[in-house]
This record gives sequence, C-alpha cells and structure tokens, in this order.
Amino acid sequence: MAATADTIFDQHLTARAFSLTSAFWFAFATSIGMVAAGYLIAPDFMANIPYLQFGRIRPIHVNLVLFGFVTPGLLAAAHYYVPRLLRTDLFSQKLGLMSVILWNVAVVSAVVSLSTGHSQGREYAELIWPVDMLVIVSFALVVLNLLMTVRRRKEPVLYVSIWYACAAVILTALTFSLGNVIWRPDTGALLGIPDAILLWFYGHNVFGLLLTPLTLGLAYYVIPIVTRNPLYSHTLSLIGFWSLLVVYTHIGTHHLLQVPVPTWLKVVATVDSVAMVIPVMVFLINIWYTAKGKLGEIHADIAGKFIFTGTIFYFFVSIQGSIMALPQVQRITHFNNWVIAHSHLGVLGFAGLSALGGLYYILPKITGKPLYSRFLADLQYWLVLIGIVGFTVVLTIAGLVQGNSWFAGETLYRTLPEIHSYYVVRLSIGLFIALAAYIGLYNVIRTIYFNPGEEA
Amino acid sequence: MSQKMTPTAVVLGSVTILAAVVFVVVFWPYQQADYTPSEIFRYRTEAEAAGRKIYIANGCVYCHSQSIRAIDWGHGATRIAQAGDYVQDRPILLGSQRTGVDLSQEGGEHPDDWHIAHFINPRYTRPNSIMPPFEYLGMEKIELLTAYVQSLGMKAADKRMARQRFWKEESIRAYEAGIDENVRWLAEIVPQGWRDIPNPYAASEYSLARGRMIYQAFCIGCHGPVGDGMGDAQPWIYPPPLNFTILKGREISGGIIYYQLMNGITGTAMPYFKKDLESEKLWDVGNYIAAYFINEVDSNGPPRGIDAAYEP
Ligand code: HEC
Ligand code: HEC
Ligand code: HEM
Ligand code: HEM
Repeated sequence: MAATADTIFDQHLTARAFSLTSAFWFAFATSIGMVAAGYLIAPDFMANIPYLQFGRIRPIHVNLVLFGFVTPGLLAAAHYYVPRLLRTDLFSQKLGLMSVILWNVAVVSAVVSLSTGHSQGREYAELIWPVDMLVIVSFALVVLNLLMTVRRRKEPVLYVSIWYACAAVILTALTFSLGNVIWRPDTGALLGIPDAILLWFYGHNVFGLLLTPLTLGLAYYVIPIVTRNPLYSHTLSLIGFWSLLVVYTHIGTHHLLQVPVPTWLKVVATVDSVAMVIPVMVFLINIWYTAKGKLGEIHADIAGKFIFTGTIFYFFVSIQGSIMALPQVQRITHFNNWVIAHSHLGVLGFAGLSALGGLYYILPKITGKPLYSRFLADLQYWLVLIGIVGFTVVLTIAGLVQGNSWFAGETLYRTLPEIHSYYVVRLSIGLFIALAAYIGLYNVIRTIYFNPGEEA
Repeated sequence: MSQKMTPTAVVLGSVTILAAVVFVVVFWPYQQADYTPSEIFRYRTEAEAAGRKIYIANGCVYCHSQSIRAIDWGHGATRIAQAGDYVQDRPILLGSQRTGVDLSQEGGEHPDDWHIAHFINPRYTRPNSIMPPFEYLGMEKIELLTAYVQSLGMKAADKRMARQRFWKEESIRAYEAGIDENVRWLAEIVPQGWRDIPNPYAASEYSLARGRMIYQAFCIGCHGPVGDGMGDAQPWIYPPPLNFTILKGREISGGIIYYQLMNGITGTAMPYFKKDLESEKLWDVGNYIAAYFINEVDSNGPPRGIDAAYEP
C-alpha cells in the first residue's frame, strides 16, 4: 500500500490525538497559570469566585501541565517512535484512541473536581479516588498498547528509547497507585509522617519516573536522527538507564529535609541526590557527544532545536537540584520561590521544551505533510525560551529575598511588599509563555487539519 | 550488550528495582513509624475536623506550611515540629510553600473575631496581605475554619485560647461600660513604668512620614483612614477597633501607645506588632496617631533622654 497522506493519517490516530491533547492543555494550563500568578499580585481582582480561587487553581495548573501538556506530548512521540523502532505498527489504534479519550476525561474531571473543592489535599496527589481510577485505567491502556506493540515487533533488539518509554508508563502506573493510596478511597492518605514520606516518594517520581524517562527516550531517538550520527555509546545508555532507576527513585525525602522524618532517610536522600550527577551526566555525555560537531544540523531542525535545548536545561535543573538537596542550601531555598523557579526550569525548560520538540518531530511524519509554519514554531521556541529564562531569574531572586529575609529574622508579612514587583515581572513574562502556547496550538491544529502544504 | 535488554529484562528489572526501593524508603519507615503523641498532642473536636476539611478543599495548604523548622524565627516559631504532633493527620498537611505564614502554632494568636474579619477579606486586618478572600465560604464554614485554625498547636493553642477568652470578656465589659471606663481600662493594663514615658522621638516630619507608611500597611483596615475605628474590618470586630479621636485630653502617653502596639491587647482583635516592627517604627507610628488622630503629641517631652544622633 502506498503511503499516501490518508493512510498515514489513519496509521497515526493515537499519536495525533495525543498531540492535540498536549497542545490544547498547554494553552489551557498556562492560562490558569496566569490567573494564579495574577492572584499573587491582586488577590481581590477575582475575589469570591470559588472555582478560580488561588488554592483551587494552583493544583489545576500543576496537574494540567504535568498530565495535560507534558506527559501527553511525550506520549504522542512515544506512540510514534516505539512502533517505528520496532519495525511494526502500533498494536491497536482503536485502543490508543480509547486511551487518549479516557485520558482527556480524566484531565477534565481533574479540572472540574479541583475547582469545585474536591481535593485530597496532597500536593501532586490531590485527585479524588474516582479520578485516580480514570488516570490508572488510562495508563493501563497505554501500557497494554505499548507492550503489545513490543510483542509484535519485527526488530529483535530494543533500542534505549523503548526501555525508557516502557519503564516510564509501567512504573508510573504503579507509583501513581501507591502514591495516591488507592486502597483508601475516602482520604487517599496514610497517617502522619509516613504519609509525607510516601507522598514525596511519589511526587518526586512524577518527575523521576515519568517525565524524565519519557524525555530521555525521546532525546535518544531524535538527536541521532537529526544529527545523522550514530549514538555515541550504547554502554553509556545502559548505565544511564539502570542508574536512573536505582538513584532517582529513592531520593524523594529531599523534599522533607526540615521535617521530623528519620535521619537515615534524609542522609540517604541528600547523598544520593548528589549521586544523581551520575545518571544525568551519563545521559548528557552520551547525547552531547552524539551531537558533537553537528550543532548546525540541530539548529536547522526545529525538533532538534527544542530537544537539544531541553537537554541543556536538564543539565541546569539537575545540577541545581543536587545543590538544593544540601541541607545548608535548603535553609535559604526551601519554602519559597526558589523552588518554583526550579519547578518551571525542570517541568517546562527540560520536559516541556522536549515535549514540544517531540510534537514538531512527529507532526510531519504523522500527517504526511510539512509543518504548517516553521516560522511560528521558531517564534514559539524563542517565546518559551525567553519565558523560562525570565521565570528562572525572577523567581530565583524573589526566592533569595524571601529566604534570606526569613533567615535573618524578618517576618513573612514584611517580605510580601519586597517580592511584589517580582511577582509582577513573573506575570508579564508569563505572557510570553501563554502566547507561545496559543501559537503552538494554532500551529498544531493547522498542521493536522487545515494544512495547505504539499504531501511529503 | 543491548541485546540482553529483552522486554522481560526491562520490565522485570525495572519493576524489581522499584519494589526494592519502595521496600526500603517507603515500607520500612512506615513499619518503623513511631506514633507516640507529643506533649502538646490532643485530638480534634468534630467542628475542628470539619474545618480541616474546608482547609483541604480550598487549598490553604499551597500557601501555608504546618511545620516549624529548627532555623525558624517567624510566626509560631516557639516550638519546633515533632513527629508526635501529626499522629492524627490523614493526610498530613506539611505544605511546601510559605506564600503565607506557618500555621502550626496559629491557635490563640488572635481571638476569633480577628480570624473572621481576616477570612472575609485578609486586607481588612492585614492591608498588605496577598491571601485570597474567603467570604464565598459563608459564615457557617468560616466559623468551622476558624475553629480549626484556633486548634492548631493543640494543647499549647488551648492555653492561649483560654487567655484570649478571659481577656475577651474583660475587654467587652470595659467597652460596654462606656468611653471613660474603656479608656481607663486600656491604660490600666499598661504597667505604670510605661505609662509615664513620653514618646522619646521627636514628631519630626520624617518620623510622621514613616509613621504614616506603617499605619497604612498595618493599621488602616481596622482603625480606618481617619483613625475613627471605622476601617473595613469594623463590622466583624468586637470590641470594635478603637476610635483614636476620643483619646484627646485623656493623658494617653507615647509609652501607653508603644506598649499596646508591642504586645497587642489580648482578647481584642488588636494584634501585637513586636515581631513585625522594630522599636523605632513603633514609636514613629505612635507619633503619627498622636499627631493626626488624637491631636495631642507628647513626643520628646520631659523626662528626656539623650537626643537621637540623626535628629535635626
Ligand atoms: C495565596 C496564598 C494563600 C492562600 C491560598 C491562603 N492564605 Fe492564609 N495567608 C496568606 C498570606 C500571604 C498571609 C500573611 C498575611 C496575612 O496575615 O493575611 C496569610 C495569613 C493567614 C493567617 C493569619 C496568620 C496570622 O496570625 O497572622 C491565617 C490564619 C490564614 N492565613 C489561614 C488561611 C486559611 C485557613 C486558608 C484557606 C482557607 C488560607 N489561609 C489560604 C496567604 C494565603
Ligand atoms: C484587627 C484590627 C486592628 C488592627 C489591624 C490594629 N488595631 Fe489597634 N486596636 C484594635 C482594637 C479592637 C483595639 C481595642 C479596642 C478596645 O478594647 O476598645 C485597638 C486598640 C489600639 C490602641 C490602644 C489605645 C489605648 O488607649 O490603649 C492603640 C494605640 C492602637 N490600637 C493602635 C494601633 C496601631 C498603631 C495599629 C497598626 C500598627 C493597630 N492599632 C492595628 C484593633 C486593631
Ligand atoms: C538531579 C536531579 C534533581 C535533583 C537532585 C532535584 C532536587 C530537588 C529538590 C531537593 C527539591 C526540593 C526543594 C525544596 O522543597 O526545598 C526539588 C523540587 C522540585 N523538583 Fe527537582 N531535582 C532534580 C531534577 C528535577 C527535574 C528534572 C525536574 C522536572 C522534570 C524537577 C522538578 C521539581 C519540582 C516540580 C519540584 C517542586 C516540588 C514541590 O512542589 O515542592 N526536578 N528538586
Ligand atoms: C503562563 C505561564 C505560567 C505562569 C504565569 C505560571 C504560574 C505559576 C504559579 C503562580 C504557580 C504557583 C507558584 C506558587 O505557589 O507560588 C506555578 C506553579 C507551577 N507551575 Fe507554572 N506557570 C506558567 C507556566 C507553566 C508551565 C508551562 C509549566 C510546565 C510545563 C509550569 C509548571 C509548574 C509547576 C510544576 C508548578 C508547581 C511548583 C511547585 O509546586 O513547586 N508552569 N506556576
């Protein structure tokens, strides 16, 4: 069968649906982020609209960027490269489409339940039990589809991207169930300090076992193709994969260094947060050596550009993370905007940029037509880049102001006027990111549905 | 070597690693957890537990921590958190941001009326606050929320609450006995030594300008823009915020004002400011009230100390 645009279209139903999901929720989530940021400047502006109150929309923003934007974006790419690397088709497009639909039902339910005050009050695990179930079933469908695809493979050797994609969805399905304490539907929580330990084991592994492996898998796939270089070292990918699983999973307690949890746990978390440089640098050396001498190619390819920039942010956020896990440093950085800077650097700068790169890589392949507008994609790249660097600078400064003032004995009320102007700048910079998200949504929709471009 | 990475190896290997990690860093601490209550521990009442649910539903946890660290100085930093404080908490609400203050020892910091005004709109009692207003909850839920907040700190909070209730009765009695009696009572709770001191700093232009800034950032919501006690918080506060204009000719010294600002007036909504404001700022705002609202300034009068180096 000749690969006309139509058959390509049908072949990639799932990837296409995940792409649209990601692009849509990116726009929605940043809009919510703008409202949240607005609250911190003018709390009376939208006073007494319960479902827009800061405490309710903050978890919506966070859940949406994690499970609406970044994860679906990375999954879209995975549903393209996994079959491709295995020289087969996706096990079932119908199953895939079902997983996307259910996924979106879960995300919509999350928005509705959180905005109406149905929350379990545990950061990153606030969704109520029925929504948890939806998420788990969606994950299970994705796992099933990918594993069955692996079973039907015509390529005997599994490339590193496959390991990462499979491990990410399987392990996250497990940690999600565990972290949300699904055997206790009413509260979704343990009692006392162990609840905090479990929560941060899970919360940390949203980044460590979901976003990071999916992103690394994508980079391992795209960077060698874009640079037309073979992967620098398969040994390094092995070391990177297993060390990531061993080290990243057990350091969640670095979120609890100033809380009465057992000291040995804190010691382990701190020491091995520093040891995170091993999986991080192993990956980066591998990818950066693969790209060696080919920066021109990367610059010329929009997907390569996004993803390579993501790896640079991976370097920064991880080194920063290792430093932030030191108790001496956390005396200043904990509890304030420093951490918010780190979060955006990681989730947007590293995983988010890479997810966008993934979309731009697969879109031409899954529609059979070139990207609707390379210019808009470039524009989006620069807007997000300016946004994320701006966020990092401004929020880090605000965090230092807060942390140092408190450490010097100033009360919190006195630091509110001190950080006000940084909050204003943050909101303004947020405009860049929100604009970028809408531009991306437009570009994705035009590429898929109203693309005047010639068939490739 | 990659050939050895069969699907089975990848799946079983990673699940095994995860299981081992969960066993060591989640299950083991869970097994070993010590649920011995701390010395301040007590169980919550039904109303307090209901308030906690409202706290969770409205995401207070994203702005407020409930865990005092060894390095803290600020709000509630009278007691470092212990594992035994949390043995009835499901979920535990430690929080990860301090956009607002730590609330683990909030109970009894203020009387109930302060909290109610603050929940209706935080700017009423704290003009610079960025906390969202919670008027939409309705009075019934705001009262439950207040009950919960007043229980934070458990037995330590109960002690403070007993103090608040005692002085609340006293202050209401004085207020209802009329202006003369109220002003007499207010002065009487100040130790004699302080009552005799005039404001030691000259009511210079500079001092008044600073006093004005402080008044607007801390006091205006209660005492009002013209010092008549008709700030936005007034309808929710009883005894109502003091009308400064009645103080003229009643021998209100700088020392009385300073002392009341420093320690607050327990039982009334009047908070203490000694943690928020350094000494000179308290004297400055005292000068400001005296000059603009009471219209009677005793600053820098006898007995005088040494002049401040910077004063003209
Ligand atoms: C946007 C973040 C934010 C949210 C959400 C929030 N607060 Fe606050 N809260 C603050 C800030 C900032 C302060 C400090 C200024 C002030 O006193 O208003 C504060 C102060 C307080 C205080 C007074 C502490 C004191 O004694 O000075 C209490 C009590 C309080 N909050 C309770 C709550 C409760 C209960 C909720 C949920 C219904 C809540 N807050 C939601 C930011 C927030
Ligand atoms: C939450 C409301 C509230 C805020 C904020 C507040 N006050 Fe008060 N203030 C009161 C109340 C209530 C009283 C006592 C009324 C009574 O018992 O009759 C009072 C009493 C006083 C008194 C006592 C006067 C005397 O004769 O002993 C002074 C002085 C005073 N306030 C100054 C201030 C200043 C200055 C600020 C700002 C730094 C301030 N207050 C902020 C509510 C408030
Ligand atoms: C080596 C890698 C990393 C280390 C050692 C690390 C370390 C840390 C530490 C210590 C904190 C807690 C800060 C505090 O509360 O004081 C933290 C928070 C956070 N990290 Fe990382 N980090 C790393 C990489 C990443 C990456 C790659 C991401 C995103 C994909 C990420 C996302 C986050 C987020 C969102 C938070 C905020 C959690 C909260 O809500 O409090 N981190 N990190
Ligand atoms: C328009 C752009 C955005 C704005 C204005 C914005 C604003 C905000 C605000 C106000 C918060 C709460 C911070 C606090 O409690 O003080 C937040 C948290 C967060 N945002 Fe954003 N955001 C934007 C875009 C994004 C994007 C695109 C991502 C990820 C892809 C992201 C990821 C996060 C995460 C992970 C947190 C939680 C941080 C933590 O708990 O430590 N944000 N954001």
